Amino acid sequence: MKKANLVSGFRSGLVFGIVLVFLFLIGFLETGAGLLSKFFGDPVPTNTLPKLGYVILFLALMAIWSGSGSSKKINPDRFSELVLPVLVNGGVLGLMTALMALIFGNYVKAGVDVRNYLVAVSPASIKMLMLNLTEPVQAALALFALMTVATFLGALLHFVWNRHLSEKVKRTVSSKIESVGQSKMMSLTSHPAARYIALAGALALFFFLPRMWGSYWNYVLGTVGIYILLGIGLNLITGWTGQLVIGYVSFFGIGAYTFSLLTAPEPHAIMMNFWLALLIAVAVSALVGFLIGLPILNLRGDYLAIVTLGFAEIVRILLKSDLLTSFTGGPRGIRDIGGPTLFGADFSSDVNFIYLIFVMVILIAFVANRLQRSRTGRAWEAIREDQTVAKATGINTFSSKLLALTLSAAVAGLAGVLFASRNQFTGPEDHILLVSINVICLMIVGGVGNIPGIIIGALALKGLPELLREVSNFRMLTFGALLVMMMLIRPDGFLPARRPRMKRPMVEDPQEKAEEGA
Amino acid sequence: MLKVENLNVYYGVIQALKGISFYLNQGEVVALIGANGAGKSTTLKTISGIMRPREGSIAFNGEEITSKPAQDIVKLGIVHVPEGRRIFARMTVLENLYMGAFTINDKAQINQDIQEMFERFPRLAERKNQLGGTLSGGEQQMLTIARGLMSHPKLLLLDEPSMGLAPLLVDQIFEIIQTINEQGTSILLVEQNAQMALAVSNRAYVIETGTITIEGDGDDLLKNDSIVRAYLGA
Repeated sequence: MKKANLVSGFRSGLVFGIVLVFLFLIGFLETGAGLLSKFFGDPVPTNTLPKLGYVILFLALMAIWSGSGSSKKINPDRFSELVLPVLVNGGVLGLMTALMALIFGNYVKAGVDVRNYLVAVSPASIKMLMLNLTEPVQAALALFALMTVATFLGALLHFVWNRHLSEKVKRTVSSKIESVGQSKMMSLTSHPAARYIALAGALALFFFLPRMWGSYWNYVLGTVGIYILLGIGLNLITGWTGQLVIGYVSFFGIGAYTFSLLTAPEPHAIMMNFWLALLIAVAVSALVGFLIGLPILNLRGDYLAIVTLGFAEIVRILLKSDLLTSFTGGPRGIRDIGGPTLFGADFSSDVNFIYLIFVMVILIAFVANRLQRSRTGRAWEAIREDQTVAKATGINTFSSKLLALTLSAAVAGLAGVLFASRNQFTGPEDHILLVSINVICLMIVGGVGNIPGIIIGALALKGLPELLREVSNFRMLTFGALLVMMMLIRPDGFLPARRPRMKRPMVEDPQEKAEEGA
Repeated sequence: MLKVENLNVYYGVIQALKGISFYLNQGEVVALIGANGAGKSTTLKTISGIMRPREGSIAFNGEEITSKPAQDIVKLGIVHVPEGRRIFARMTVLENLYMGAFTINDKAQINQDIQEMFERFPRLAERKNQLGGTLSGGEQQMLTIARGLMSHPKLLLLDEPSMGLAPLLVDQIFEIIQTINEQGTSILLVEQNAQMALAVSNRAYVIETGTITIEGDGDDLLKNDSIVRAYLGA
C-alpha cells in the first residue's frame, strides 16, 4: 500500500470536509438541497426546509465527488489498491461532518442560539444537518456512515467508469464533442444547404422567441446582447490587439449619456430623432477613444490600462457631480430617454427592442469578423504577438492600435445607446467600473479573441446570474465558484480562439488537393 | 548604400552608442562583432527605426532616414530580423510569412515569394500549417529570416542569427546568409560568433562599449591577433 495514495485520500477528505463545513456555516446546505429538490420537480415552499432525502442526496453527492476525485488521482490498476485510501478519504470527510453535527447538536440541546455567533446557522438548518435526528451522537454516527459509504461509492463508480466504460464511451462521445466543435461542425456548416437551413432556423428562433417568452426574458436577453456588443468591442483592442483597456465602461457611459442628453426631455429637451442621436453618440464615443489613444498608444506596456481606468472613474464622478447637475442630470440620472422609431412609427416595445439588439449584435459581429480576416486584423494580431517585430515588418503599430481603440470605443458607445434607450433611464451608477470588469471577465470566460466565445461568455456571465436567482443569497458565491471551476477546467476560456485559418492556402499544394478530392 | 554617421543613442541616461560611423556598399556583407552590451543590436534597431538616435544621421541610398518611422523604412527596403528568433508564435508558418509581406499588396507576387521561400527552406514547407511557436529553434530562425525576405529587402539587418543554435544549424544558417547575399541582397550582420561572421563577410567592424575600435576586411580581421584573443578564445 503506497503512502502517497493514503495521503491523497486524506487530502481529498480534508478539502471536501472543509468545503462542507464552510457551506454549512454560510447556510448553503439548505440552498443546495433546495436546488436538488427543485431539480427533481419538487420545489421547496418558502420558509420550509427541503425534504430529508434531498439533504442526504446533497451530502452524498459531495462525498461521491470527493471519492471519485481521489480515485481519479490515484488511478489504480486494481480496485483493491483503492480501498484503503478511499476509506481514509471517506473517514476524514465523515469525521468532519459528524464532528460538526455533534458540536452544533450539543449547542442546540443546551439551548444556545448559535445565530448569535454564526448568522447563517439557524436551529432548523442544524436539525437538517442532523438528518432530523434528535440525539447528536446518533446524528454523528449516521453522517459518518453516510459520508464514508458515499465516498466509497464515488470511488467505485469512478473506477468502473474509468476501467470499463470510459474507453468506449469516451471514444465515441468525446471524439464527437471534439469534432462537433471543430472539423465535423465545419464540414457540416460548410455544406451550403445545411448552412442556410441552420440560418433560417436561427432567424425563425430569433423572430418568434421574443414574442413568446415574455418581457422578463426579453430584458435578460437584451442585457446579454448589450454585453455581447461590449465584449466584441473590447475584444478588438484587448483580445486581438493585445492592449488591455480596464476602463472600457467610460466609452459605454459616454455613448449612453450623449444619446440620453440628446433625446430626453430633461435637462436639455433636444428630443432628437433616435437614429441621428445614435450616430452622434457613437461618433462621440469613437472620438473620445481616439483622443485618449493619441497620447498613450505610442507607449508600450500597461499605460493604456491605467489611463483608461482613471478615465472611467473621472467620467463617472463628473456625471455624478453637483457642478454638472444642470448639464448631465447629476446623481439622479436622466429619465424618459427616447426609444427607437422605425419610419416614424414607435419601435420601442420590449419585443421590438430585442430585435434591434439582435440586429446590432449580428451586424457588429459580422463587421468584427471581417475585420479580423482583413489586413488590419492581421496587423492587430501581429502587434499582440510581438510589437517590435510587427514594427520591423512594416506595420504602423501606432495607427493600428489607435484604429482598434477608436472602433472599440465606438462599439461601446453603441452598446451604451441601446442600454440607455432600452432602460429609458441612465444614471452614474449604471457606469461603474464593475461593468468593465464584467466585460473583461466575460471575454476571459468565453475565450479571448473569439466571437462565439464572447457570446457564450456573455450568456454565462449575464444570463447565468438570472438563472442563479434560485440560490439568491449565494448568487455571487456560486458564480465565483463557477468561474474558478471554469478556469480550472478550461483555462483558455470556454471556446478558445481558433484563429481563422486561410481557407485556401496561398500556395497551391498538390498533396492537399489530392486529399480534398478523395 | 548605407551610411551611418556619428550615431549617438541613449537608453534614458545611459549612452549605448558613442558616435558610431560606418558604411555598407551595395552587395556587401558587413559584420558588426563585439561582446554583450557593446551596442550591436542597438545599432540595428536605430537603423530600422525602432529606436531613435539623439545625434547623428543614417542615409540609405543617399536618402536621409534618421527620423523616418519604422514602417516607412521597411518600405524603402531595409528589413530588420530581430535577435532571439522572434516569430509570431500563435500564427502558422504560412501566416508568419504572409505578415512579412505586409508592405506588399500584390497577391500573386506574395504567393510566388512564399513558394520561393519554401523551396529555399524545405523544412518550412513541411511545417507550413504548424503554429510558429511549435517549431524547433533552428526552424524558427529560418522562419524569421524567410519572413524578413518576404518584403524583398535591399538590405537585410540580421541580429545574431546563430544565437542558441547547434553547430550544424549554425553552418546551415550561414550558408543561407551567403546564398541570400549572392542573390543580390546586402546584409548587415550582427554576431557574437566572430569566426563565422568574419568568414562570410566582406568587411567587419568591431564594436566595444559603444564605439568602433577596429575595422577591416573579414579575412584580415580573422588574422588580427587582438580579435582572435578577444573573441575567438584562442
